[in-house]
Amino acid sequence: MLCWHCHSEGLVTAFCPRCEAIQPLPAQLDYFRVLGLERNLRLDEAALSSRYYALSRRLHPDLYQTASAQEQEASLTNSALVNRAYRTLRDPVQRGVYWLELHGEKLGTNNNRVPPQLASVVFSVQEQLEELRDARRAGREAEVDSALTGLQTQLKERLAGVQAALVRHFSDWQNQKGESSSLPPGNGQDDSSLKGESSALLAELKSVLSELAYLRTLLRDVEKETGISWNA
Amino acid sequence: MERIVGIDLGTTNSLIAYTHEDTPRVLADAHTGSSLLPSVVSFLPDGSALVGQPAVEREAAHPLTTLRSVKRFMGLGMEHVSDEDRRRYAFARDAGEENKQALVRFAVHDRSCTPPEISAALLRTLRERAEAALHEPINKVVITVPAYFNDSQRQATKDAGRLAGLEVIRLVNEPTAASLAYGLDKREEGLIAVYDFGGGTFDISLLRLRTGIFEVVATNGDTRLGGDDIDQRIAQRFVLDELAEELWADPRVLSRAQAAARAAKQTLSTHRQASLSLSLPDRGEFERSLSRRELEAAVDDIIARTLLPCRQALRDAGVAAADIDAVVLVGGSTRMPLVRQRVAEFFGRPPLTDLDPDEVVALGAAIQADTLSGRRKDMLLLDVVPLSLGIETMGGVMSQLLERNTTIPAMVKEMFTTAVDDQTAVEVHVLQGERELARDCRSLARFTIPIEPQPAGVPRVEVAFMIDANGILNVSAIDLRTGRERSVDVKPSYGLNDEEIEQLLEESIDYAEEDFNRRLLIEARVEADTILNATEKTLRDNAAALQEGEADRIGAAVKALQEATVGRDSDRIRELSEALSEATEPFARRIMDTSIQAALADKRVSEV
Repeated sequence: MLCWHCHSEGLVTAFCPRCEAIQPLPAQLDYFRVLGLERNLRLDEAALSSRYYALSRRLHPDLYQTASAQEQEASLTNSALVNRAYRTLRDPVQRGVYWLELHGEKLGTNNNRVPPQLASVVFSVQEQLEELRDARRAGREAEVDSALTGLQTQLKERLAGVQAALVRHFSDWQNQKGESSSLPPGNGQDDSSLKGESSALLAELKSVLSELAYLRTLLRDVEKETGISWNA
Repeated sequence: MERIVGIDLGTTNSLIAYTHEDTPRVLADAHTGSSLLPSVVSFLPDGSALVGQPAVEREAAHPLTTLRSVKRFMGLGMEHVSDEDRRRYAFARDAGEENKQALVRFAVHDRSCTPPEISAALLRTLRERAEAALHEPINKVVITVPAYFNDSQRQATKDAGRLAGLEVIRLVNEPTAASLAYGLDKREEGLIAVYDFGGGTFDISLLRLRTGIFEVVATNGDTRLGGDDIDQRIAQRFVLDELAEELWADPRVLSRAQAAARAAKQTLSTHRQASLSLSLPDRGEFERSLSRRELEAAVDDIIARTLLPCRQALRDAGVAAADIDAVVLVGGSTRMPLVRQRVAEFFGRPPLTDLDPDEVVALGAAIQADTLSGRRKDMLLLDVVPLSLGIETMGGVMSQLLERNTTIPAMVKEMFTTAVDDQTAVEVHVLQGERELARDCRSLARFTIPIEPQPAGVPRVEVAFMIDANGILNVSAIDLRTGRERSVDVKPSYGLNDEEIEQLLEESIDYAEEDFNRRLLIEARVEADTILNATEKTLRDNAAALQEGEADRIGAAVKALQEATVGRDSDRIRELSEALSEATEPFARRIMDTSIQAALADKRVSEV
C-alpha cells in the first residue's frame, strides 16, 4: 500500500506514519491487527478498549465532515472495520470463533445441534418452559414470573461457569504455544492451519465454545418468555 | 467554517440552538420570548399557514385544519393509523381507502399534506428565528430524532429538512444529544441512563461516558408512546365519558377536551388539584375538578409501559439497574411526579432533574453541530443502530446481518446461496426489526440480482450492508461467480421519493420568493446592525459634540430602526437605516471637521 498523500510505501496502518494522512485499511486485515494487537486468544481487555477508543478518536467520520471525499471514504470504511473488530474481539465467544476461522477451523455451523454435555439441561429447560406456558394460560402470572427468574439465574450461573472455563482454555492454549502463539506478520492470507496442533486441546476449545453459544441461545429463549414486547 | 445549528423537532414543541464559544444556547422567539415553538401548524382557507403559538390559538375553533403531534405519523403508512387517530385527524381519502400501504396524508381544505411538509413549516419558522437572532443565513442543520425511529421515520425527517431548503448534516438520536449536554455540563463519567419521555415518543438509552467519548451501549423505546397518550386518557375518562356520546364525533369537543386535559395534567405536576374546563359548542361550559391521585390511577399503566424498554435495554447492555451511575430525565412528560417516582423505583435512585427537560436535547444537538462543523474537536459520539437489520431467507425467515445496538458506522458481509436448481435471479429483501419472521419485520427495500443458473446451493451471492454515521443503510449484493453487482440506497416504503420532493419544492414557488425575501431581510438587518453599532460608538466617544435636540432626534431614529429589525419588513428596515444615517450626518460631519482641525493644530504645534 502506498500513502495517497505522501506516497510512502508499505502501509498497513490507518494513518501514514510519515505524513499522518488517513489511509484506507486493507479489507483483508485481520481484526487483531486492525486494533494493533497480537493475534492471541487471551486478550488484555483494558488494552483492547483503550486501543479502540484511541483509534475512534482519530478515525470517526464526525471528524472528517469537512475533509476531502477521499478522506471521508477512508474514515467511513476504517471506522466500520474498527467497530466490527472491537465488537468481535471483546466478546470471548465471538473472539474464539473468529480465531478458529482465521486458522481455517469451523465451529460447526449447525447451531441447532445440542452439544452433548448440554442435552439434559436443554431438555429440562424446554420442559419447564412448556409448563410455564400452561401456567400462564391458566392465569398464574406471579408464579410464572418467579419461576422464569429462577430459571434465568440458573442458566446465567452455568453460563458464567463455562465462560470461566473458556478463559482457562485460552490460557492453556497460550501457555502451550508460548506467548507469541500467533502467526508471522503479513497481510492476513497466511497459511496457518492448526492441523499439527494437539487435536485434544482443539476439540476441547471447540466444545466449550459451542456450549457457550448454545447456552446463550437458551437464555434468550427464556428471556423471550418474560413478556418483553417488541415493536415490530 | 459555515455555522451548523441544532434543531429539536419535537412532537409537542420544537427548539433551535447554536453554540457560542463552546457553550450551547437555545434561541427564543422575538415576540413570545419563549424558546419553545409549539409544533402546531394551522392552515387558513387561502392556503397560507400559521405556525406555533398563533396556530395553537386557532386550534379550538378550527381543530381539523390545525395539525399537532404530526411527528407521530412521520414515515408511517395508512395501516398504522388507529381509529383513535381517525377521530382526531382528517386524513386524505384517496390514499386512505384504496391503498393501505400508502403514506399518511392529511386532508387540509382542498388539498392533502404529508407529515414531512408540516414538519418543514416548523423548520422554516425555526430557521427564520435563528437568522433573525444570529443575523446570518442558516443553511445547515443537525436535527434530532427519537433513538428508536426506524429507517422510514429517519428518512421522513431528512425529507422535511430538504423541503424546508435545509441541508441536514446529521440526524442525532435525542437521548444521545441529551447526554452530550448533560455530560458536558456535569463532566461526569460512568454509566448513565437517559429516560426520554416526550409528547409522542419514548426512548431509553444507556451510555458510557468517559473523557471526551460518549458511547451508547444500548437503546430501546416506543415511537408511539408519549404524553399525548396520557392526555387522551384523561380526556376520555374524565371528560368524554361524562358527555353524551353524540358529542364525541365533534372534532371541536375532542380537541378542546384534549387541550383541557393537557392543561390539567400540567397543573397537577405542581399542584394536588386542578380543574378540567372547556366550552362545549352550543352546550355551555363543562367543568370538573381532578386530583393528582385520580390522574395517577388513570395513567399508571401508560407509564408502566415505559419500563419494558428500560428492562430490555439493561439486558442488551448486560448490566443491572444497580450498575447505573446516574439517571437523566428528558422530555416534558418527565415533569409528572408519578413518572419520576416510577423511574426512581425502577433504577433504585432518584433521577437528576436539574437540567431543563425541554431544552436539553436542542442544546445537545447544537454541541454535535459544532463538532461536525469542525469547530470542536474534544468530544466524540459513538452511537448505535436501534433495530436489527437483515434479509429475508428461506421460508420467510428474517436472517439478521446486523444486530441492534451495533456501533455505527458498521459494515457486514454475508454469503447466501440458492434453494432451487437453476435459479436465474436472487431477490434481496431488506428487513428491519427484532421478530423472527420477515412478515413481522419492517420491509425496507427489495431488489433482485441476476445470477448464473447453477444447482441449488452452488451459487455464492455476497450481501453487504453498510451503515454510515447517520444510521442510513446502503445494501449491495454481488454474484461472486460472474462479478455482477447490484446496490441500492435503501429508500423507505413510506417515504416521499425524489420526484415527489422535487415536485413539492417546485410547487412552492412562494418558497423561492420567500427565500429571496429572506435573503433581502438578512442583508437589511446586517446593514442596520452596522449602522446602529457605528452610531452607538460615535455617540459614546463624542458625546460633547452633540448639539441641542440632536441627541433626541438620533435616539428616536435608533429606536425606530431597532424595532424594525425585529420585524420582517426589509424595505422598512432599509428606509429607517437610511433615516438614521441622515439624522447622524451633520453630527458625523462636525466630528470629522473637529478631528481634522485637531490634526492640523497638532501639525502646527509640531512645526513650531
